[in-house]
Amino acid sequence: MHALDIKLLRDFQRLWGQALAIALVLACGVMILLTAFGMHRALDDTLTAFYDRNAFADVWIDAEKAPRGLLKEIAEIDGVQIVEGRIQKYLMLDLPGRVESATGLALSLPESGDLPHLNIPILRSGRLPSVSATDEVMVSEPFAQANGYQIGDSFSVLMSGQKRLLTITGTALSPEFVYAIGPGSLMPDDEGFGILWMPQATLEAAFDMSGAMNSITLSVSRDAREDQVLNDLDTLLDPYGGTGAYGRELQTSNAFVHTEIAQLKNMATILPPIFFGISAFLVNMVIGRIITLERAEIGLLKALGYTDLHIAVHYVLLAGLTAVLGIIIGWGTGGMSARWMAGQYADYFKFPYLIFNVSYDAYAISGVLALLTAALGALRAALGAARLPPAVAMSPPAPPRFKRSAFDRMMNAARMSQPTMMIWRSILRWPVRALMSAVGLAFAVAVMISVGFFSHSLDTITDIAFTQSNREDAVLLFAQERPLSTLEEVRRLPGVLEVEGELYAAVKLRHGHLEKQLSITTRGAGATLARSIDTNGHVAEPIGDGLLITNRVSEVLDLQPGDLVEVEFMTGRRETHTLAISAVTEQFFGLGAFMTRDAMAALQRRAPHISVANVTLDADQADAFNQQIKDTPLIASTVRVTDMKDGFTESIDENISVMNGLFIIIAVLITVGLTYNSARIQLSERARELASLRILGFSNWEVSYVLIGEIMLVALLAQPIGWLIGYGIGVLMANSFSSDLYNIPLVLPPAAYAQASVVVLGTALASVMVVRRRIDRLDLVSVMKTRE
Amino acid sequence: MAQPVSEKVFHTEDLVKTYQTGSTEVRALDGVNLDLFATELTVLLGPSGSGKSTLLNILGGLDAATSGRVEFRGRDLTELSDRALTKYRRDHVGFVFQFYNLVPSLTARENVQMVTDIAPNPMSAEEALARVGMSDRIDHFPAELSGGQQQRVAIARAIAKRPEVLLCDEPTGALDSTTGVQVLEAIRHVNEDLGTTAIVITHNAAIQAMAHRVVRFQDGNIASVSTNDTRLKPTDIEW
Repeated sequence: MHALDIKLLRDFQRLWGQALAIALVLACGVMILLTAFGMHRALDDTLTAFYDRNAFADVWIDAEKAPRGLLKEIAEIDGVQIVEGRIQKYLMLDLPGRVESATGLALSLPESGDLPHLNIPILRSGRLPSVSATDEVMVSEPFAQANGYQIGDSFSVLMSGQKRLLTITGTALSPEFVYAIGPGSLMPDDEGFGILWMPQATLEAAFDMSGAMNSITLSVSRDAREDQVLNDLDTLLDPYGGTGAYGRELQTSNAFVHTEIAQLKNMATILPPIFFGISAFLVNMVIGRIITLERAEIGLLKALGYTDLHIAVHYVLLAGLTAVLGIIIGWGTGGMSARWMAGQYADYFKFPYLIFNVSYDAYAISGVLALLTAALGALRAALGAARLPPAVAMSPPAPPRFKRSAFDRMMNAARMSQPTMMIWRSILRWPVRALMSAVGLAFAVAVMISVGFFSHSLDTITDIAFTQSNREDAVLLFAQERPLSTLEEVRRLPGVLEVEGELYAAVKLRHGHLEKQLSITTRGAGATLARSIDTNGHVAEPIGDGLLITNRVSEVLDLQPGDLVEVEFMTGRRETHTLAISAVTEQFFGLGAFMTRDAMAALQRRAPHISVANVTLDADQADAFNQQIKDTPLIASTVRVTDMKDGFTESIDENISVMNGLFIIIAVLITVGLTYNSARIQLSERARELASLRILGFSNWEVSYVLIGEIMLVALLAQPIGWLIGYGIGVLMANSFSSDLYNIPLVLPPAAYAQASVVVLGTALASVMVVRRRIDRLDLVSVMKTRE
Repeated sequence: MAQPVSEKVFHTEDLVKTYQTGSTEVRALDGVNLDLFATELTVLLGPSGSGKSTLLNILGGLDAATSGRVEFRGRDLTELSDRALTKYRRDHVGFVFQFYNLVPSLTARENVQMVTDIAPNPMSAEEALARVGMSDRIDHFPAELSGGQQQRVAIARAIAKRPEVLLCDEPTGALDSTTGVQVLEAIRHVNEDLGTTAIVITHNAAIQAMAHRVVRFQDGNIASVSTNDTRLKPTDIEW
């Protein structure tokens, strides 16, 4: 091994503390990149494989009741490959041992007794129900597992007013329900919602659908024009109550999984550059300082005949070794966390298997990025070293030139002590260095704020969604739209205190070239249970025949109050109307639009109807209410709002605390990396100066004050910068997490800023205190003797 | 011992070097004309600031002259590119500094290897250390060596490439007389055994007794040049 290489390794060994601090920051970038890439790829590969192998459909359309004969005509639409008709119905389930009702989505299996050709369920245990059996059912695996069902177990279901006992013959997973969410729910509830595959004949008989279907799925060829197929389908199904054809992007389960995949991609692009940037800065700072300390050695190397290239490479390699350490740590932790997180996702989304291919490209990219980062950070300093003229390099550097400035007069006027003046002079003498350190620390603050806002946002979401907007205890979904008088029947159910009705109407909203499919919610005037809250936190009600829209709709359709929007109804008379936007409300889940019951009835030219009833309940009569619901044919399913709220906060809280914890660690690592290195450098730069102070009779603590003071002053200056950057990243993150399914508001109370600042300042102080101990051990005589 | 008659190694003509410090211009060398010959041991004497070190740095290719000529074996050093100067130092020049300038993270052997790694025709690190009497401390780090031992390692490092010229800037400046003598012995051996041209800067007048020629500096120029008819061994020098 060459002597220069031996020097490299020994230098690295000597600098291990500083190198490790940098390597850990670099490792964070590598780890997040690997984790996000790895999860993204695992999710994408698994989804693609599941979709391909199990023939996930390309297009869906639901109708009220269409003859099966129509399938032949649909098959003739240009580009259609496979078309299948089925019966689908939401059913009220009465599960043994469960007080509340549950909801099942019944799907008919083909008459042949085989599996369907599209959205093929993958059998996980048992068998399909027999074609002729009227009491057999195959259920979704998560539903069976959550309820502890075995093959052969039974539960009751209400079908067309009749209660039937069904026996489980098998369990399955379907590409259509990777993310299975019940009607009206915000999140999956495996215990309360299941998919029920049943023989076609059973459902035909139960729902008077002989020779008919109400759900059609199809696959189209790669070169087909999907919008054309959707239009043709709408036209064909129009007479049979078609509710509008849609493609994969609007299929609920697919949309959720893709939103998640897109978020992972965002995470991989927003966060790692921050870590790499900070690492580059740290490397620059440390290598730059080493070079200043090693001027004599650099001069010597030159005197001995080493070339500029030799010297530049030597210092870049020192940074390279640090990068290698970071890469090893990042690869180790990133590989593990990618696999672990992918497993979590596979669990969260219902995949039958997980395809986890090690993304060698992600390893390569993260490694190359880390090396480049370190090399770039070292380059400026290394080139500077190479350019040092050998004779100059061997004489000690001239003392830094301090100049008297307006600041000095201010400091004098402020009667600052000499140590305090030393602190300020040093910062003012190297303002760029102080600024860069402050910006680095600001990123530590920013990282915490940019993630810390989630818990505050979710508090706001919970408050607006559950405390202010949805104040009902339960939502009862009717099997069909009902006249308003049905509310009286609901009022007579045991335990019902208040009741209000809502009607959902599926529409397409058009504004210029922008279009969105959603449903308009219609409420009675003065509704107090379910209501809308405007962006100022006040209750907002639609006025006259105006339309109230949610903030997300306002954004995606570029609609402001006063604008006109075209509304195409997809059910009933299927008319198109032009309505005015009356106000914009705040809503965090899905897309929404609201209008008054009277205005809707006028548009539909019929008496007011409702599709759900919102109720508040007397807690003492909950059991009687639940029991009664299970036997009420009128109600297809129920949503327990309180359960939903609990489930929501519970599942989110867990994720948030894991994420907050992770980002606190990251902020701490960045802070340690920066302050520990700064303090070490300060100490080596000022060893003579500080030792002189000690010799002049200053105490250890008075001398420590100079070191601690400068670092902490820079850390303090970093706080407002960090708050600003954190806010900016927060905006980026909130935007990147927002989709048509949900959006996250940026909520940053003072506590969020304070928490970030306390963690960063505390960590900075702890780091500098570790270095401070070296002042106690300062060998006064030898320090004064060293040449520099 | 008479001055050996041999070829010119260095030749300078009107060599000037000026520095700018603040608003004042310092003339470190003020038109130096000097010839130095092969196998000669020359001592440069003079108070600090008289221009000795500046001359040595320019001769060694560490620094560039402001004007004038410096020839090394007929080649004008002032016209060499940075790359060519690096090669010149690597192939022909050995340096010894007042403060040894050993790399603290490398052992004695490894410090010498710094040179043998890149020189075209080096002796082994072991041989170089043997020549300065450091064979028994070969695997010690600088911090484990005395000042005189460190300087001898530095000399071993300088001669390991078999340089044509050995440039020593105050080699005993940081040493007491006993260890200083050991270092001067090492330099004399190199000069006599290997025939290396040696130039030794000192402000210690006693050391001039070991030189073939003595060049005295004053205010950036040569005040006088004298030749020793009889030379003393370093062990016979007292200071």
